[in-house]
Amino acid sequence: MFVLVNGKPYPLPQSGTLAALLRSVSPPAPFAVALNEEFIARGTYDDCVVHPNDRIDIVHPTVGG
Amino acid sequence: MERQAIQDELILYGRRFTSRLLLGTARYDSPSVLADAIAVADPALLTVSLRHQMSGAKESGASFWNLLRETKRPLLPNTAGCLSAHEAVKTGCMARELFQTNLVKLEVIADEVSLQPDPFGLVEAAMELVKLGFHVLPYCTEDWVLCRRLMDAGCEVLMPWAAPIGTGQGPRNPRALRELRQRAPQVPLIVDAGIGLPSHACQVMEWGFDGVLVNTAVSRSLDPIRMARAFANSVNAGRSAFLAGPMIEQQVAAPSTPQISRPFASDLSTLPGLRVSEPRMGTLVP
Repeated sequence: MFVLVNGKPYPLPQSGTLAALLRSVSPPAPFAVALNEEFIARGTYDDCVVHPNDRIDIVHPTVGG
Repeated sequence: MERQAIQDELILYGRRFTSRLLLGTARYDSPSVLADAIAVADPALLTVSLRHQMSGAKESGASFWNLLRETKRPLLPNTAGCLSAHEAVKTGCMARELFQTNLVKLEVIADEVSLQPDPFGLVEAAMELVKLGFHVLPYCTEDWVLCRRLMDAGCEVLMPWAAPIGTGQGPRNPRALRELRQRAPQVPLIVDAGIGLPSHACQVMEWGFDGVLVNTAVSRSLDPIRMARAFANSVNAGRSAFLAGPMIEQQVAAPSTPQISRPFASDLSTLPGLRVSEPRMGTLVP
């Protein structure tokens, strides 16, 4: 079973939480996360369950005007 | 001098800034050029954004984050690239967590050619973001009704465009911009987008705008560091001119040098070729 992380398939971890997924993906800090186009606050990753085919967006600071 | 500077601070949502220049961080050739441009421009705020990680990109991720931290400048995250209110609200929430600020430069784009702001999406997103406790600085057009709706939604600062993003055309609709300034005298107005030259920045500051945001005009110039300094100087010059109160434009010439007790005084009307009462073709009539 897979989820989409930044548009690419990624294996869904057994525990099925967003926290577990992020530990597996290990994105460089700092980052922020959206699940299925909804913002997920950092303190709630452990409580957030991820399902197959969910879309996870992990974003980082970048330049902007 | 110091007292005067304190009195003329830019105040955005209760935060005080001595500079009236906001600087974008995009499209610089290298992080070091960006860092030097920031140092000489001394901007009030730096605009930043969010993106998926791009492997090897110098302008995102940890290296950019470290650069931002080293500058110690306040940050203004944007919602660039958002095409709906929902996207903008989501992006604003992610930006708040990432950059640890309630400030957000709200962008909702409606037209991919002109990158013109979406007035309907802006108002919808602004209402939601204000409810969520954001301090919203919407990038908008100079349209008065839109600006009023944004103020009604709780925006205490507006960022009207001068011209489409990245064009460098300067103020395309000076009359509407000046009318906006007159109709919202108490609202901080930062001119954003389309500024190409320091003279453009100086011009809008002379009109009484509270600040200017520039990015491409600096980053894509041949010498961004020199241009950053030029913009900082022009913003200061325009602000000083506004505070000084420009003279009223006159329709006829008026001698600046006193006419009383002129040396070698003569009656102008008696000079050869200078006739007051009987003008002729080819003669100068003062």
